[in-house]
Amino acid sequence: MDPATLIPVPDALPVHWFWFQLLLTVTTFLHLVAMNIVLGSSGLAFISTFSTDSNSLNLGKEIGHKLPFVLAFTINFGVAPLLFLQTLYGQFFYTSTVLMASLWLSIIGMLIVTYYAAYIFHLRFDSLARFRAFFIGLAVVLLLIISFFFTNNISLMQMPSSWTSYFSSPNGWLVNWGDITLLPRYLHFIVSGFAVGSLAVALLYEFKKRRGDVAADAWIKLGCKWFTIGTVINFGIGFWFLGTLPGFAHDVTTSAGKLFTIVLYGSVAAGAVSVIKAMSNRVVPAAIWTMATVFLMVIARDMVRISYLHPYLSLPELPVKTQYSPFILFLIFFAGIGALVWWMLKTAWCAKEVQ
Amino acid sequence: MNYPVWHLDFAGGGLPIAIMAIIHVYIAHFAVGGGLFLVLTEHKGLRDKSPAILDYVKKHTKFFLLLTMVLGSLTGVGIWFTISVLNPAATSVMIHTFVFAWGVEWLFFVAEIVSLFIYYYTFDKLDSRTHLMIGWIYFGAAWMSLFVINGIIDFMLTPGNWTANSSFWSAFFNPTFWPALFFRTFLAIMIAGLFGFVTASALKDEKLRISMQRFSASWLLVPFILFIGSAWWYRAALPPHVEELIFQRMPAMKPFISSFVVFSPLLILGGLLMAIKIPSGVSRSLAGLMLVIGLLYMGTFEFIREGGRRPYIIYDHMYSTAMFKDDVAKARTNGILESAKWVDRKALATADTSRRGQEVFRLLCVSCHSIDGPLNDIKKIAANLTRADLELATTLMGKQLAFMPPFAGSQAEKDDVLYYIHRTLLNKPE
Repeated sequence: MDPATLIPVPDALPVHWFWFQLLLTVTTFLHLVAMNIVLGSSGLAFISTFSTDSNSLNLGKEIGHKLPFVLAFTINFGVAPLLFLQTLYGQFFYTSTVLMASLWLSIIGMLIVTYYAAYIFHLRFDSLARFRAFFIGLAVVLLLIISFFFTNNISLMQMPSSWTSYFSSPNGWLVNWGDITLLPRYLHFIVSGFAVGSLAVALLYEFKKRRGDVAADAWIKLGCKWFTIGTVINFGIGFWFLGTLPGFAHDVTTSAGKLFTIVLYGSVAAGAVSVIKAMSNRVVPAAIWTMATVFLMVIARDMVRISYLHPYLSLPELPVKTQYSPFILFLIFFAGIGALVWWMLKTAWCAKEVQ
Repeated sequence: MNYPVWHLDFAGGGLPIAIMAIIHVYIAHFAVGGGLFLVLTEHKGLRDKSPAILDYVKKHTKFFLLLTMVLGSLTGVGIWFTISVLNPAATSVMIHTFVFAWGVEWLFFVAEIVSLFIYYYTFDKLDSRTHLMIGWIYFGAAWMSLFVINGIIDFMLTPGNWTANSSFWSAFFNPTFWPALFFRTFLAIMIAGLFGFVTASALKDEKLRISMQRFSASWLLVPFILFIGSAWWYRAALPPHVEELIFQRMPAMKPFISSFVVFSPLLILGGLLMAIKIPSGVSRSLAGLMLVIGLLYMGTFEFIREGGRRPYIIYDHMYSTAMFKDDVAKARTNGILESAKWVDRKALATADTSRRGQEVFRLLCVSCHSIDGPLNDIKKIAANLTRADLELATTLMGKQLAFMPPFAGSQAEKDDVLYYIHRTLLNKPE
């Protein structure tokens, strides 16, 4: 069966496709940063629960205190890229989602359990004692499973050739095991999560140090060390992932392949600089270079998707029924709510204890 | 038909969305009304110079945060996940029509999260004026989320001029937008009162408990008249044929309409009981019972609203089977197994009648009917029908049986699906 015959007819876009691609790239970046922090820092909190050292317990408690916030923003920042992905690539994404519908819906249940486990870890930290490892461990395991399901969906989405498996398995349990990039792709994201999460912990203690915490140095060093180890391992996994990608993804004779190659080299360079900065415990510059690395990797990811879907989709040829007024309204709200959120965060940051 | 169909038997007929939506809608309305409850209760505490009331607000905020931020937010995402696997075609239409409305709703969601966290964690850190302002920002953002979502939900029931002009603004400010907005706002305030009972009845200080129960009762009882008025307005704003279908011609709606009518006085009675001086244990049990009644109340309304769209998922545009209204004639001529994209025609060419009928059932029936499941179980519905009755029913679909879409397949496919229901599922003789 020709997979092209299975591709649904797309609905019309209200504005030029470029705007959706831009919004998709930017919001995916925000989501991935938050997701990395959640995954990595909760992993560190889990490890810390096995230590009898009181300092390590404090690390777990500190991470536990921040985890519900970061989790809330990870989920929130996941909504926007999912929205723009569905707008631009809906005919592929909805299909892959139906093919793994049972797994996909289980994500909601797992997220609810993860969120409450994180809250229990935070609110009952002292009284939980040896059950701390259970709750934070449960959250970590569920986050790893959720990440795998997301990776699987993206894999199915950009490989219509795998869709015919639906006819032998129409109950929504499809995993794209036939995709040789599935495992390295997943591991690349997971290890990145642990590395960036470690750096986020170092950054947290860097700010504490600036506010006078004398014990912060040890955690800055530890965070930077784990970040360095994680990133170096991820270079290896990244090259494995690259090796499994089909030739057309990095074919420099195509625009997408050319851009992919450029941003890939750029991200490797930025990643190397971030490691060098982290090795000398310079957290803020390491974080800035890491953000640059993640952003370039998001663009690389977009280019790979475009290359994969090239035989079936040309973004400029998507139908458009132009209506710009809602888009302009969105931009106005973006600016207004952005300013409001900035004011609230500033107010909270400057808040002092009221007598 | 554009997309693959998730094969569900027991969970067919929309069971996943029914579970997800009822939980979410209840908590989501609480997230709106409860936001107003928080700031006005804090105002009351400050005005009365009552540290006990302020302490109550703080405790209620924790409960509010844990319920709305986790279960409320995630079931909201869950609805989106669920509709995209149950009816991807309709979801795609709604996403492409309202992408920037969803975008705006996401922005308000960001503001809700930031303001609620700050509100909860700065009770003792911000001066009361700034703290209240953060609370008002939360409520404003939550209500604006309702404003946006309300436009999208009601579009599905009454798309108005959108079907002719495809305009975003026609779709958003559709004929039932305003009455539904008022209806939901008053409902949200009432639900805030119901959740107020839960935390107020747990207070140990009896004087404070009774005072806060009375305060919560006023949230339930005062907006009730306005709520009933807006419900009437909502009904009046429905196109006459939709109104007639819901209230007169759809037997499946009757239990829900009756329940809605029965639950209304129960809520008033419960609210009045909570306002009088009753023992702590009784008030706690009653608060729990009221919460359940509220959930059922919300559930019956949602069933009526969802059911009111039948046989469409987007009124006058796309049937609940995910088939565009304009495509039915073609499917009747060519057959649904030829028209639908996701059919293994090669395998079906050599399949027996039962297998072909099963495929037609999955394409045209499973969106509304389960097999052995709790929602619209085809086996129960067809149990006492003869083959001739079933034949007649498929002929009346879209006509006398106006809540069902017209059968969108060829005569041979109709025979196949009837065989599948009559012989395979019910094991009845020819």
